[in-house]
Amino acid sequence: MTETGNQDRPAVRVTGLWKTFGEQVAVSGIDLDLPAGRFIGLVGPNGAGKTTTLSMITGLLRPDAGTVEIAGREVWQDPVDVKSRIGVLPEGLRLFERLTGRELLSYLGRLRGIPAAEVERRADQLLDVLDLLGAQNKLIVDYSTGMRKKIGLAAALLHNPEVLFLDEPFEGVDPVSAQNIRGVLERYTASGATVIFSSHVMELVESLCDWVAVMATGRIRAHGPLAEVRGEADSLQHAFLELVGAGAGAGPDDRLDWLGGDRDR
Amino acid sequence: MSTLTEPGAAPATAPAPRGTYGDTAVITATFVRLKLALMRNGLRQTTGRKAGFISSAVLGALFGALGMAGLLALGGSRHMAALGTVLVALIALFWAFVPVFLGAVDETLDPARLAMLPLRPRSLMTAQLVASVVGVGPIFTTLLVAGAALGTARGAGGYAVAVVAIVLTVLTCTVLSRAVATANAGLLTSRKGRDLAILSGVVIALGIQGVNLAVQKLADGRNAEPVHTMADVARWLPPATSVEAVRAVSAGAYGVAAAALAGTVAALGLLLWWWQRSLTRLMTSRDGSTVLAGDGGQESEKERTGSGGALWERLLPAGRSGVVAQRALRYAWRDPKAKMSWAMAIGMGLLFPVIWASTGSATVYHACWGAGLLGMQMYNQFGMDYSGFWLVAQTITSARDAYAELRGRMLAIALVGVPFTVTVVLVAAVVVGDWGQLPAALGISLALLGALLGCGALASVLFPYSVPQDNAMRNVGAGQVSLVWYGIVGGLVASALLCAPLIALTIWLHASAAGWAWVVLPLGAGYGAVVAWAGLRLAAGQTVERLPEILAAVSRS
Repeated sequence: MTETGNQDRPAVRVTGLWKTFGEQVAVSGIDLDLPAGRFIGLVGPNGAGKTTTLSMITGLLRPDAGTVEIAGREVWQDPVDVKSRIGVLPEGLRLFERLTGRELLSYLGRLRGIPAAEVERRADQLLDVLDLLGAQNKLIVDYSTGMRKKIGLAAALLHNPEVLFLDEPFEGVDPVSAQNIRGVLERYTASGATVIFSSHVMELVESLCDWVAVMATGRIRAHGPLAEVRGEADSLQHAFLELVGAGAGAGPDDRLDWLGGDRDR
Repeated sequence: MSTLTEPGAAPATAPAPRGTYGDTAVITATFVRLKLALMRNGLRQTTGRKAGFISSAVLGALFGALGMAGLLALGGSRHMAALGTVLVALIALFWAFVPVFLGAVDETLDPARLAMLPLRPRSLMTAQLVASVVGVGPIFTTLLVAGAALGTARGAGGYAVAVVAIVLTVLTCTVLSRAVATANAGLLTSRKGRDLAILSGVVIALGIQGVNLAVQKLADGRNAEPVHTMADVARWLPPATSVEAVRAVSAGAYGVAAAALAGTVAALGLLLWWWQRSLTRLMTSRDGSTVLAGDGGQESEKERTGSGGALWERLLPAGRSGVVAQRALRYAWRDPKAKMSWAMAIGMGLLFPVIWASTGSATVYHACWGAGLLGMQMYNQFGMDYSGFWLVAQTITSARDAYAELRGRMLAIALVGVPFTVTVVLVAAVVVGDWGQLPAALGISLALLGALLGCGALASVLFPYSVPQDNAMRNVGAGQVSLVWYGIVGGLVASALLCAPLIALTIWLHASAAGWAWVVLPLGAGYGAVVAWAGLRLAAGQTVERLPEILAAVSRS
């Protein structure tokens, strides 16, 4: 875990991060310091560049330009040290689906060089806390979305990382599993670790995070403590819509006038 | 058609019409239009698909017409009735199983897509039946069945019965196909069913080789006896009974003909009843996929709990390589694509020497194929992980990690490949009866295996391509076909070049110092090991440099 002395140093420092795919600019020059020991939300509409940014920060995608430091180490220069300090739950990437939940955890624990007995001890507890003991010997390919996210979270936590990156961890997850994940994350941040997660569900971010960064069209539009970003607006949702410049939606007109009308035919 | 509507839909008692849901004729016409629209839209996709569709339509019509012409030409032959009977039986067998394996080729027939529509089973069945007769397959079938029935017929009565037989047979085939597919819909939409469908490719590929061998034997003997034996059984099985009816009428045996026709009609009725029952059950009960996902998983759970964990530990080395090899071996058994690839390599490796032996041109050196096919398993290692490779990428921090990772994967292949190669070469030596060549053949086989493993490791890193796990029929990611060829052809050429000195040495030893040919065995084994190791070393350094690029390449869908 992070010692208290490290609290001043940002958990993640991003400088001049760029990524283009062909003609399309996905991330255009992000500079961002994410404070350590916080529950941080990265919010933005679909296509804002959240996943691309998180992929570059976690070493899964090579940036066109820019640097990323995690706990003071450069991700692309010093991967050995960084990879052991971070846990990742990406969105849209698969797990080894033909392993059972327990096999996946033992496999990953051993790949990370944790002794077998210790891997088993940690896996037992993670499976128990995440309510996966009943499904531990089922193949992951047969898991539901909620179970997949939970086993992914267990895999990300197994080596006790300092910083945890979660891309849409609550997407498609049922309320019971969501509460489960939430409980584990809250316990984890209470110990002084940093959680950075992306979402487009503002209510969720508002209820979980104490620090947010708002992203749209590949740029950071605002960042800071939650209250600061929310400002005068009555909810993060409204503040967000204003920041990304989205209108309040179409007013009443004569389109869809048949909807709710006569139902004889 | 309107007689098929349920009595409850009678206009006198019905309220003001809400659309035309109940009318079978309208629904049938809608289904046929839907089927034609789906076929037309299929044509609007890629040029590859368009070319594929047009060529299959042209070939289907052409071969169907040729087949019919051939059968009509055989009309005078005394084998004709037997041949026609067997042919119809085979066509029915094809209709029963092939659509099941090919999955949802025909979307108008997928009950899951129609479950929310207010359709009655009878109108739905009529509409689906008519829609399923539209297409290349049914036309091909009709042409062949017409050839079989008309070729068998003699006299006016014979031809009249033949026409009835054609209609009955085509209907029975389509209904059989529908009924089997509907009854198995639960299995087909579940994960296990899809896994089975992928594996059926192996069965078909190996089956074709088996048929090939059988046909060769048959052609050698110039003997039609087997056809008659098969026909004696098949003519009592509907819908082949319809050809039997034609034969019986033409021969004046009216009683037999009536019985055979009645049998065909009864079978058709039975199939319709079965289809309706499965369809009703399918559309009124919970989704088969969820049932199987829940219950099937529980079932197999027992197999996986605590099964031989200790055995793995003892067999495989400690550390990353052992863990990786364990996962690779588990995947070879559990992942349908990996399993298919292994099954093809092992099956073909065993079959090739047998085929050559049967053609009489065998040498022990043909057993090298076994080693070659197994060695090819090392190619595109990371592509088989698909986007799951990110888990591997996250845990590789140095060239040492990458080396251990690749060594584990190579170990899994070698654990099967080395004993397999030795066995195949030994068996080939026994079959050919040439023990003198055994050491040299084994040496070259092992060298080839090592070279392919080494080159495969390097190709996995330099030319990775995606093997999409969510699409059963695609084995290469979009736009990556050229990478496959670079990797495999380049790797094969490199492996062949690497083995060339050893082959040259073998030839020279045989020519000048026959007594010394055995040295090829230790030399080949050692050489293979060194090349494999060198490939690993080179590949490991590249892997650690290219992790994000490999991940991007293998995650393509």
